[in-house]
Amino acid sequence: MRLALATASFVILIVHGIIFYDQFFHEWESYQTSYYQQALSLAKTDAERAAVEGRSPKIEQIIVTSFGETRVDRCSTCHIGIDDPRFKDSGHPLRSHPFSEELGDKLVDGKWVRRHKFNDFGCTVCHDGQGRGLGGKYAHGQDHFWPDPLLGSKLIDWRADYKPKLVGKEYMQANCTLCHTEDGFGSTPLVAQGRRLFFGKNCYGCHKIDGLSNGALGPELSEVGKKFKIDYIWESIVDPRANSAASFMPKFNLTDDEVKALTIFLKSRRGMNFSETSLDRYKATLAKGEPGQALIHGGVLTSPPETGTPTAGVAYGERLVYDKSCMACHKLGKFDGGIAPDLSFEGLMRDEDWMMGHFRSPRSKISDSIMPAFGFTDNEYQAMTTYLASLKTPPLVTNPAEIYNSLCSRCHGEKGDGHGQIAVYLDPYPRDLTKVGFMNSKSLERFVTSIRNGVHGTSMPAWGKVLRDDQIHAVLDHIQTTFVKEPRRPIRERKLPEINPIASSSESVNRGEGLFLQRCTGCHGRKADGKGPNSLDMLPRPRNLRNRDFLNSVTDRRLFESLLYGVQGTAMPSWIDYGLTEKEIGDLVNYLRSFDKGHKQ
Amino acid sequence: MARKISLSALTELPGNIWNSIFRNPLPSSDLGRAQTSFTNFFLHIHPVKVNRHTLKPWYTMGLGLITFFLFVILVFTGVLVMFYYVPSTNQAYDRMLDLRSTVAFGTFTRNMHRWAAHGMVAFVFLHMCRVFFTGAYKRPREFNWVLGIVLFLLTLFSSFTGYLLPWDQLAFWAITVGASIAGYAPVVGEQMRFLLLGDTTVGQEALLRFYVLHVAVLPLVITLLVAVHFWRIRKDGGLSRPPEAESEPGLSKETTAKVDLVEKPGEAFVTSAGKKHFGIQGLVRGPFTKVGNVPDNSVFAWPNLFMAELFVLILTIAGLCVLSLFFDAPLEEPVNITHPPNPAKAPWYFLGLQELVSYSAFWGGVGIPTIQVLLLLVVPYLDRDPRGVGRWFAGERLLANTLFLIFVIVNITLIIIGTLFRGPNWEFVSPW
Repeated sequence: MRLALATASFVILIVHGIIFYDQFFHEWESYQTSYYQQALSLAKTDAERAAVEGRSPKIEQIIVTSFGETRVDRCSTCHIGIDDPRFKDSGHPLRSHPFSEELGDKLVDGKWVRRHKFNDFGCTVCHDGQGRGLGGKYAHGQDHFWPDPLLGSKLIDWRADYKPKLVGKEYMQANCTLCHTEDGFGSTPLVAQGRRLFFGKNCYGCHKIDGLSNGALGPELSEVGKKFKIDYIWESIVDPRANSAASFMPKFNLTDDEVKALTIFLKSRRGMNFSETSLDRYKATLAKGEPGQALIHGGVLTSPPETGTPTAGVAYGERLVYDKSCMACHKLGKFDGGIAPDLSFEGLMRDEDWMMGHFRSPRSKISDSIMPAFGFTDNEYQAMTTYLASLKTPPLVTNPAEIYNSLCSRCHGEKGDGHGQIAVYLDPYPRDLTKVGFMNSKSLERFVTSIRNGVHGTSMPAWGKVLRDDQIHAVLDHIQTTFVKEPRRPIRERKLPEINPIASSSESVNRGEGLFLQRCTGCHGRKADGKGPNSLDMLPRPRNLRNRDFLNSVTDRRLFESLLYGVQGTAMPSWIDYGLTEKEIGDLVNYLRSFDKGHKQ
Repeated sequence: MARKISLSALTELPGNIWNSIFRNPLPSSDLGRAQTSFTNFFLHIHPVKVNRHTLKPWYTMGLGLITFFLFVILVFTGVLVMFYYVPSTNQAYDRMLDLRSTVAFGTFTRNMHRWAAHGMVAFVFLHMCRVFFTGAYKRPREFNWVLGIVLFLLTLFSSFTGYLLPWDQLAFWAITVGASIAGYAPVVGEQMRFLLLGDTTVGQEALLRFYVLHVAVLPLVITLLVAVHFWRIRKDGGLSRPPEAESEPGLSKETTAKVDLVEKPGEAFVTSAGKKHFGIQGLVRGPFTKVGNVPDNSVFAWPNLFMAELFVLILTIAGLCVLSLFFDAPLEEPVNITHPPNPAKAPWYFLGLQELVSYSAFWGGVGIPTIQVLLLLVVPYLDRDPRGVGRWFAGERLLANTLFLIFVIVNITLIIIGTLFRGPNWEFVSPW
């Protein structure tokens, strides 16, 4: 036991020896000693000599109070020659900071005078890094957990794929912007370019940045620069799913230079800037429009200013459609963003009124659309509408299989199962054409109508001008044989009222509401928006009964049919089997119809 | 006269000071050994003589003692760290950075505090296992077991409150998760959580509350209960031991017969057997700790017990020092309320609970832990069989030991699953 005791005591001694050694022989002390020696030998006057002689190694720090939260920068503990021009050619860490006219330094009587004095600014305001750290690893922010490593420094272990692209002092422009927010500030061209791209590529449509935009579809970016390193930002731009598996942000077709500009612009978004006051902030919130509306700030769009004659020409509209990155989501010609519907035949499917209304507020036409309202000017909307309305060339396909594959499969899927490429972004979800129960319980006429006129309130457009009736029938035959795989059965005749026999009255609506709350909310939700607690497990999803356009487009007869006899191939049961009478159905229909006050029976 | 006094006072000064502090010279006789333990404030909590069985290294493995020493180290390093800490959401993290970069011995002190805290949680649990598997909670030590359980819970709570103080992502989200587990209690859950956090989310109020609990309330309560815990060990006749450990092998029961007390405490007294003893303590219930040459199975605490304790102390410090030299206490990103890590995990000792919570919020967060604690508390009152005390895994205690072993294995397994095998969205991942 005594031997063990002695060993353990010895271990304690050794550990303490190491700790003490570590505490009393710092790396920075050797830098400072070396600096003093060199400075002494370089000293030419007595004053210079005296300035060095009295000094012994100690922790140097600059406390910066003028720029946001108080910073403590201890960088000059190692970089002790930082403001000593005699050390301009030394190696790091003693080398002095270069002077440059770009930074506002001035040559006065042969001596440089700094614009950004270290005693006022410290180091991390511009360079990032961890001011409180001592010793390279933590001070430079090489520690994996530090959110602000030295900007653009090759010391930092940026993500391997992007590392060469993330090195360079231009990244520091992000920090210049914290004070120099003026849009025209000449020394931060990359921030300005990034800001233009943020609007030009329609980032603002989905992302909110306080004072700039109000997008609600994607994550807010107001403080993105405070929270994330530039490698994370870069990666999130070029590969949105790398950091968030559920992201559906499109991959934009950006050059490396553009990504760099965007990265720098985003890195400069750190919540409140040093030049802002909380009052500015408050005013900015007051100036905000409706949610989803963009605040276009300071004329930064790529398109020509709308002053002068409204050039509502097709060419201008075409350029807008391309410039504004519509094809980051939509398909048009050979471009395909893979998120939103095909616009190639838009002029045959939608009229100009619909398009203008849809531009201004997509949800006024398709109530569950995820398309943001971008807040362009009316001139721009008009030009884009004119251009899209000019797209009237029907596709050069004749074979029904080809028609299906080129026009239908993007939503309904190659296998007809409704899981097309863009299906997950559509609400309501595209119809599963393989469900025999559904496909064989609805009349051919209804399918033809749906294709020809589209389904109102949904992303299903009217194909009537794209396809001839015989083509529509051919496609339906193709669907029947390829996906349904059963011959059509004759539809069972059912006695159904054409018009709701129960007159709409407040009593009837109240009875309908009571029934709805008892019977329907599990799937359709208390708000009748199709988001009941059971809805998550169902495909097709329960119908959003607040979808006014859709509801107004269906007849009472169809509502009675769905309610009384259910919808085969979906979770909607036959309510006649659950004891609902035709009168009660009538009350329910009146309740549903009552959502839209303007609707006339 | 006056000169003489002052001269001798000067020459004898060092010796006098020494003797006034250490009243006894290094003992060479049994009386001296007894007095050394008895007259020293720090040693007098020990008995003068201890049973040989108590000193067997593999009986206790020093687990309780390690826990206590870790607590002392925690108080010591905690006070040091406290000099640099500010319980403010604006400053706490910066202070951590200072501690790491600028403060002399800052990293090492924080490391020691951190690892000692984790160690204390582990060793208090191991100590509990030792006590159970040796049946040491049985009469008359029932209540000391209950105190031990309370101390275990206080240790967990103390560690939990300390976990928040660095105010980094790890701390913030671990406490957010931990506190939400408390919120699953029926009826009072939300109120309890609110009382603990002082807010609906973890923020400045929670930081201040946790700080006060961590540096003032809990250490005081623990110190008090530890004192009671130790005091009861003495009053219950020392550590548990099997009945046969009372007598030396080969001695018959009669020779260790009871001693008649003579009404002259502090003086030598004579027993009916005619042997000389030193009465040095008041009336003690239970097995009487005997001094002198009574032929029993005990030895003097000085030096036997003290050497053993010193050994455990040195070993504890050595282990902790090595650990703190090689492993730095974690300090992650500054708190970012909008960016939870995935998965957000509670401190490791609560990961068993978090694992259970992933199956059922109520049962995992409240039901099962409450049942476990209640069962632990009533163990000595349910198991009244006096057999099997003082031996590891006594055959008479097969059922109790098996049940407890299952309890231990299940909890450790859950903690291991929660710690190593759970990835983003609490999905199963392989650590390899």
